Amino acid sequence: MLERCAPIYERYFRVASYGSEQVPAEGAAILVANHGGTLPVDAAMLCMDILRSSARKRIPRAICDHFVARLPVVGTLLSRCGTVSGTRANVAHLLERGELIAIWPEGTTGPAKRFRDRYRIQAWRVGFAELAIRYRAPIVPVAILGAEESWPLMTKLGLHWFGAPYVPVPAWPVPLPTHYRIQYGTPILLGDDARDADDPEIVAAGAARVRAVIERQLQDLRMARRGIFR
Amino acid sequence: MRVMVTGATAPLGSAIVGALLAEPEVELVLGVGTEHRGAPISPRMVYLRADLTHRREVHDLIHRAATAHAIDTVVHVGQHRNPHDDGTRVHAQSVDSVRALVLACSEHATIRRFVYRSFANVYAQPHATTTLIDEDTPLELDHRAPQWLRDRVEADLTVCGYRGGSLQISVLRCAEVVAPDIGSQLWDYLSSRICFRPAGFDPMINVLAIEDAASAFVAAVRSSVSGVFNVCGAETLPLSRAISESNRTAIAIPGGLLAPLYGLRRAATGFEFRYDLNARRFHLGSLLDGARALGKLGYVPRTRVRWPRPWWRVLLERLAETRA
Repeated sequence: MLERCAPIYERYFRVASYGSEQVPAEGAAILVANHGGTLPVDAAMLCMDILRSSARKRIPRAICDHFVARLPVVGTLLSRCGTVSGTRANVAHLLERGELIAIWPEGTTGPAKRFRDRYRIQAWRVGFAELAIRYRAPIVPVAILGAEESWPLMTKLGLHWFGAPYVPVPAWPVPLPTHYRIQYGTPILLGDDARDADDPEIVAAGAARVRAVIERQLQDLRMARRGIFR
Repeated sequence: MRVMVTGATAPLGSAIVGALLAEPEVELVLGVGTEHRGAPISPRMVYLRADLTHRREVHDLIHRAATAHAIDTVVHVGQHRNPHDDGTRVHAQSVDSVRALVLACSEHATIRRFVYRSFANVYAQPHATTTLIDEDTPLELDHRAPQWLRDRVEADLTVCGYRGGSLQISVLRCAEVVAPDIGSQLWDYLSSRICFRPAGFDPMINVLAIEDAASAFVAAVRSSVSGVFNVCGAETLPLSRAISESNRTAIAIPGGLLAPLYGLRRAATGFEFRYDLNARRFHLGSLLDGARALGKLGYVPRTRVRWPRPWWRVLLERLAETRA
């Protein structure tokens, strides 16, 4: 699967990866990233990037929304690729096992945003911060640039097939070959103690801190790029 | 240890009796079943015939036979198997007998431990998103569920309701034991030459070998820890692989057609397999988390399941074994 998708990563999106050495080589860790584009191509590119360029080639376990498992074909395919439904029990179990997990706290609000809101982080869930504190797992903030222009959303159909919140209609049938950039930040260890996970204020402050770092990374990447295809 | 095992003539009960007799610290096994049986398989075994749906027989069994043999542990695995049966008789066998038995055991002078076989089916998966099911997952309490399932949940909750007293209770929620004549839905499903499965879904399933199930019960009998434990099997594999392991042909069709198709098939052939009972796990894989059983009981699944084989393959394997 990895070899088959390699041309998409290398030649189509020409993914440029910065700071992948920040990903811990072992032990539980959480990659937290921004989300955009009609379908989660950015998530696929992040997972490919971890598999190809991180120091120990760890297998990232992407955490997906609950409805994804119910989608025919897609649910099974993603499950075989290591994707896990984002229930508390699943994520806790992975962290206990010392796995590297990838979370997009925006959920479906990220891909559902309008083009004019691109790279503006939408609703930001805080569950990842609570689990990171509870399991003492470092958070690696990740900014992904290129997904929003590659495949913007044109409209949403109010159909709830297989439990999906909406049916996306992309602006064009296939994603454009924009130049993807993935920036990994310095790992953040939230809270002083595992018991801080029970304090909603500490959890919310931790989640906001990670969000601020990702927003700053996105801003830096946008300032540095010369064009969406270059 | 002096152990009483109900359902001792059924395949799982027989396996548990055999595994208990292999333990040197087990002084006596009192097997209880509804069928007549010949000579016991060991001098350390006594067999009694009793119908647990009759309260008087349960009373006599516990307060007379168990007292006479100084039984200290009761393992209850006797369950109604056919999911198509319903009514008060089935309820009496699946729930009332369990209630009567656990109540009698809780009042008994020598019985200190009660081990109950429950099922992974009792867990609810309302949103079908939990990949890993631990012991704290809510149970299926939907009143629209078939009686087969409701009875199992009620029996499980009944036993759990007696926890906290002087009687040590362990409830083992077992993954599906794939074996013939044991009420295995998967065995029945895989026994037909063509297996229909939902198009677009190939969930992971975990299956338990009968030897592992027996070893889990032995571990529960030997342990002094009580509680609820998930008992998972050594083998986790996609449904399509289970079909190919059994040398069957898989045909994927839209999920909505499977229940009526298997309903027709049952009407024609009398199969026990019910698609509506399995629809959820045939679409979305959910696996039992056996960490608690590993940590507290020391139970480790080791044995691979023997899948149903076509007759010609069984014959070839036996020939090969004979030659070897």
